[in-house]
Amino acid sequence: MIVAQEKPLDQIRRMIDRYPRVLIVGCGTCMTVCGAGGEREVSYLHEALRLAETRGGNGAHAFSEYTVKRQCDPEFIELLADRVSDVDAVLSLGCGIGVQAIAERFPEIPVLPGVNTSFMGMAREQGVWDERCAACGDCRLEDTAGICPITRCTKGILNGPCAGTKNGKCEASKDMDCAWVLIYQRLEAQGQLERMRRYYPPRNFRTIARPKRIVTRANIEAGGDDA
Amino acid sequence: MPNSLFEEKLCSDAFLVTTEIGPPKGADISEMLHHIDLLRDKVDAINITDNQSSVMRYPSLGGCLLVKERGGEPIFQMTCRDRNRLALQADLLMAYSRGVTNVLCLTGDCVDVGDHKEAKPVFDLDSVQLLETIRTLESGTDMAGNEIKGAPAFCRGASVHPEADIIQPQLVKFDKKVTAGAQFFQTQGIFDLASLRRFMQYASQFNVKILAGIIVMASARMARYMNDNVPGIMVPQAIIDELATAEKGKGLQKGAEIAARFVKTIREENLGHGVHIMAVGNEGIVPEILEAAETVAARG
Amino acid sequence: MYVESTSDTHSRRAERSAVDHSLVPPCQAACPLHMDIREYVDLLAQGRTMEALHVIRKDNPFPAICAHVCTHPCEEACRRGEVDKPIAIRALKRFAVEFGGDRMTQVEARTQHCDKVATIGSGPAGLACAYYLRRLGYPVTVFEAQSELGGMLRVGIPQYRLPREVLDTEVQRLTQMGVEIRTDTRVVSLDLLFDIGYKAVFVTIGAHQSLRMGIEGEESPGVIDGATFLREVNLGLRPSLGERVGVVGGGNVAIDAARTAVRLGARNVTILYRRSRAEMPADPEEIQQAEEEGIEIVFLAAPARVSRENGRLKAACIKMGLGEPDASGRRQPMPIKDSEFSVEFDALITAIGQSPQTPDDFRLRIGKGSTIQVDPVTLTTNRPGVFAGGDAVTGPATVTQALATGRLAASRIDDYLQSKYPLVSDAGKESPIGPLWPETVELIRKMGRLDPPTLTPQARAEDFTPVELGYDWESATSEARRCLRCGMGAEILFQDKCASCLTCIRVCPYHLPYVDASGTIQIPPDQCQACGICVAECPARAIVLRKPHDRRHITEELEHILRSADEARSKPVIVGFCCQYGLFGSGTLAGIWRGARAGVWIVPVLCVAKVEPEHILRAFEAGAEGVFIAGCGEQCSRENTAHWVRQRVEKVRDTLEQIGLQRERVQAIAPGDSGDLGDELDSFTERIGALYLTSVIMEEVKS
Repeated sequence: MIVAQEKPLDQIRRMIDRYPRVLIVGCGTCMTVCGAGGEREVSYLHEALRLAETRGGNGAHAFSEYTVKRQCDPEFIELLADRVSDVDAVLSLGCGIGVQAIAERFPEIPVLPGVNTSFMGMAREQGVWDERCAACGDCRLEDTAGICPITRCTKGILNGPCAGTKNGKCEASKDMDCAWVLIYQRLEAQGQLERMRRYYPPRNFRTIARPKRIVTRANIEAGGDDA
Repeated sequence: MPNSLFEEKLCSDAFLVTTEIGPPKGADISEMLHHIDLLRDKVDAINITDNQSSVMRYPSLGGCLLVKERGGEPIFQMTCRDRNRLALQADLLMAYSRGVTNVLCLTGDCVDVGDHKEAKPVFDLDSVQLLETIRTLESGTDMAGNEIKGAPAFCRGASVHPEADIIQPQLVKFDKKVTAGAQFFQTQGIFDLASLRRFMQYASQFNVKILAGIIVMASARMARYMNDNVPGIMVPQAIIDELATAEKGKGLQKGAEIAARFVKTIREENLGHGVHIMAVGNEGIVPEILEAAETVAARG
Repeated sequence: MYVESTSDTHSRRAERSAVDHSLVPPCQAACPLHMDIREYVDLLAQGRTMEALHVIRKDNPFPAICAHVCTHPCEEACRRGEVDKPIAIRALKRFAVEFGGDRMTQVEARTQHCDKVATIGSGPAGLACAYYLRRLGYPVTVFEAQSELGGMLRVGIPQYRLPREVLDTEVQRLTQMGVEIRTDTRVVSLDLLFDIGYKAVFVTIGAHQSLRMGIEGEESPGVIDGATFLREVNLGLRPSLGERVGVVGGGNVAIDAARTAVRLGARNVTILYRRSRAEMPADPEEIQQAEEEGIEIVFLAAPARVSRENGRLKAACIKMGLGEPDASGRRQPMPIKDSEFSVEFDALITAIGQSPQTPDDFRLRIGKGSTIQVDPVTLTTNRPGVFAGGDAVTGPATVTQALATGRLAASRIDDYLQSKYPLVSDAGKESPIGPLWPETVELIRKMGRLDPPTLTPQARAEDFTPVELGYDWESATSEARRCLRCGMGAEILFQDKCASCLTCIRVCPYHLPYVDASGTIQIPPDQCQACGICVAECPARAIVLRKPHDRRHITEELEHILRSADEARSKPVIVGFCCQYGLFGSGTLAGIWRGARAGVWIVPVLCVAKVEPEHILRAFEAGAEGVFIAGCGEQCSRENTAHWVRQRVEKVRDTLEQIGLQRERVQAIAPGDSGDLGDELDSFTERIGALYLTSVIMEEVKS
């Protein structure tokens, strides 16, 4: 899941300050799941902004709201076409992908980000989200017993651990487990410690050049076979 | 053929003494120069730390050049936190060209513990990969496989943590460093000689030299602070208590006493091939410690 | 809380939930009148007695009578009984009747047809039939052989169970409606009725003929048949029975007879029943009250012979053992050889059953047990235009069953007279909600059943004052709060909005939502406890409660209150979301309202777990200076609700702070937190007042 956090209210207010009519757009997928930008959050933010207005906002704002299934697909964004025609800005509570997608489809309207997209992760329990994947494009979870050294080791090293680990925790924070201690323990339990004894050469940080693109359809030439 | 004076001494059976000098936070190098002059004849080599604890400082390579200029034997500390593989290789070439040929390869503390917490942590390489990189350069190519004009040659070192509470992963790492070409190791601060003895037993199978790290505490408060905030340091309560018995203003003396005691014991009981004294801002006390420990550098 | 759904649990749940259960609650399904019990109990939980009474009267013509004497099959079926004890539905109905002002109820009826209908017999079936036919606009005459209306209600049920006035009120209402009453009139021929112009007749003459024991000495003086005995006492006679009285039988008539004997002064009353306690057909409450009154019940014994000796009756009894089950399904009593024993009585009352006594001249087909045979769907007999129902058809049954028959008869007679095809209704055919899963039962908060108070056994023996005293307000609303609201729970109505975020699964205190085989989240409707937590926590707003006690309802109430507050113009305005159930519906809420400081506006909600952060913000937006949420705290009948209220209050506080408002402007208040609710509210109001004053001053300073 893409996990994001709502931006602080005063930051949002500053962003929308110069735009009298704002459409707040929510996303019904990742942002709903992580509780940052679903229909309920859109509604709550709307109410909070209106409350802020009554307590001394600068200038009058008029808000409308709408939540689409996903903001990362053009077909869903198309549903906004009627609603953006009479607003001055769109405040998107979608992740960074959604904000950009809307901005690209409606280039004449400023699209503002309402959340800080933070990471790809999963729920530990209700309301607690942990990062799990850095999208490095070169997954090596086979060798680390399913524990990602890039997201779960602060330094992201491949030949760990470093000397900073204490009590199985990372030097960066006493709440964080040292990933390499975990990897050691799990590999040992699986009888696969030789994976950790191996030397891992430096990572390829450019598995795919930025901005990254993946094409899954085959490249078929029109006009028949050459062979 | 040894690549440095220090490497020569490594090859001998002499008890080695190294220490470290922390560079200034600024361009005023007068104090550092003073320390270099104070220590250069009393130890076998001087480490210059590299943005230690992720606090921005005058660079290690610059400090090493000064040590060399002043007639001392420098150990260049290289962390992977701040520079990518291009910069690291470039710095190695420069170091070699100016006679700085002892390198201590470290991964580096995370930026969170330092004073520039919002910096981008690089960690393009880790310590093991850095060791391999050095060997690659020594063989005449860079990491990308290109032939280089003028291959360097280094005396390679790394760190190890014999007192880690979960020791097995550290030993795996230690093995990898040896395989990757580490010739000498300077340990994290030692306080428990039993752990050190066990580690030395394990390490003796390898043809490497181990220098036990000794930290000089200035007070009980400093010890506690380091426990909570500095990665890799675990001062036991007994030492903290001993430090606390010092009279007001005499904390550093007490710390030096304790340090000297450790140095002496390690030498007498063969618990290391040498010591690496870390005075952490109190470099001036090091000569006293060496005297008290009746340990004199192997000169020559 | 993370709930792991193993594939075992998942498939087990999917299996259980795939069974096609309708959402008819078991109480309604078990009630012969199919009353909407769930609805009126919910209204009573909120203290809305008049509305509850309105719901009751939709399906029950004589709620006051049922409130006293119904055998409450609803309580037997009540799923609360799987958790602790069933809801005291009958007693609650009585509370609704009394506090809802049933005595004042007027029922409209105008004559719209000219076809006259007669009911023969004025027991519950006859009276109900008359009531409904009259409502449909028919001229109705009720013929009653006795001098007073009511049938068994009048002559069979003692007044300490059904007070005279209650019955009289119902009868009077019928008269007000325009039903013609002919008492002291025994109908001997149906032909005569048709001759004089009646177009349809409902024969409901009851079962008043006592069965004979068939033993020697049954004719002896002092041996009284129970039905006659009760009738005489109800009509005002006070036969003297002597000190030692015996009663033979195990049904309600036997118990009634025994307890009546106690009130007539008998010091030593013994019931002889030929089977064991488990088989005794009388109402367990009645049996218990009888034993409290000092009546001894001898099980597995029956008299074999009665004789009169020295002015007293001597009953030679024999002990019984239980053999194979008989036709009724109960184990057959078999006399045990050589187990005779003798008991002496001053009077012996027989109450082993009654049968109907239909005049031959009616020319109706009679079946087993002397009952009149009818078509079960249309209630027609062998004679056209003649319908029958009640005890005369079923043998002795319950009052409520008779009422249901009377209601059905009215509609069938209407069909007949209007030449309509008698359709079979589907009501009562659906299977009710299934039982609660053991795991759910474990998690439901246990709350002991509150029964209404009764007179002490000593006080009871003195006269025929009603034994049961009826609820007070607090007790009734507390008892009604125990209702599980079966079938009124949450459902994921907007599955297209559902993002499968699993929040509902994680927050449900009863661990009910699950992922089915197709990956869709389901909430088992027969297990949901309708707490409303998932409804408020769903980030996609995909879940609603089947009864709109949730967001929409609260929003409407809130807007209404905010408008009023605005018009009233008193400052500062404080809005309080207060739980309407029990604690608040009864005393405390009323207290807050009564002692209302100017400017405190209450938004009544059905459990504060349904109040969402947005509602709170809205109140502030509309000008409230402070908002409090007053719930039942740890005494809430649903689990974990106080936790979610606190979470939401914190969220609102964070937002308020970002807007520049003080965090303390919103507060959750619950009983038991620290002292009196009233005190807490007082100090909250004061603080808000102070904040308001400060802000007003600041405004003035600025300008």
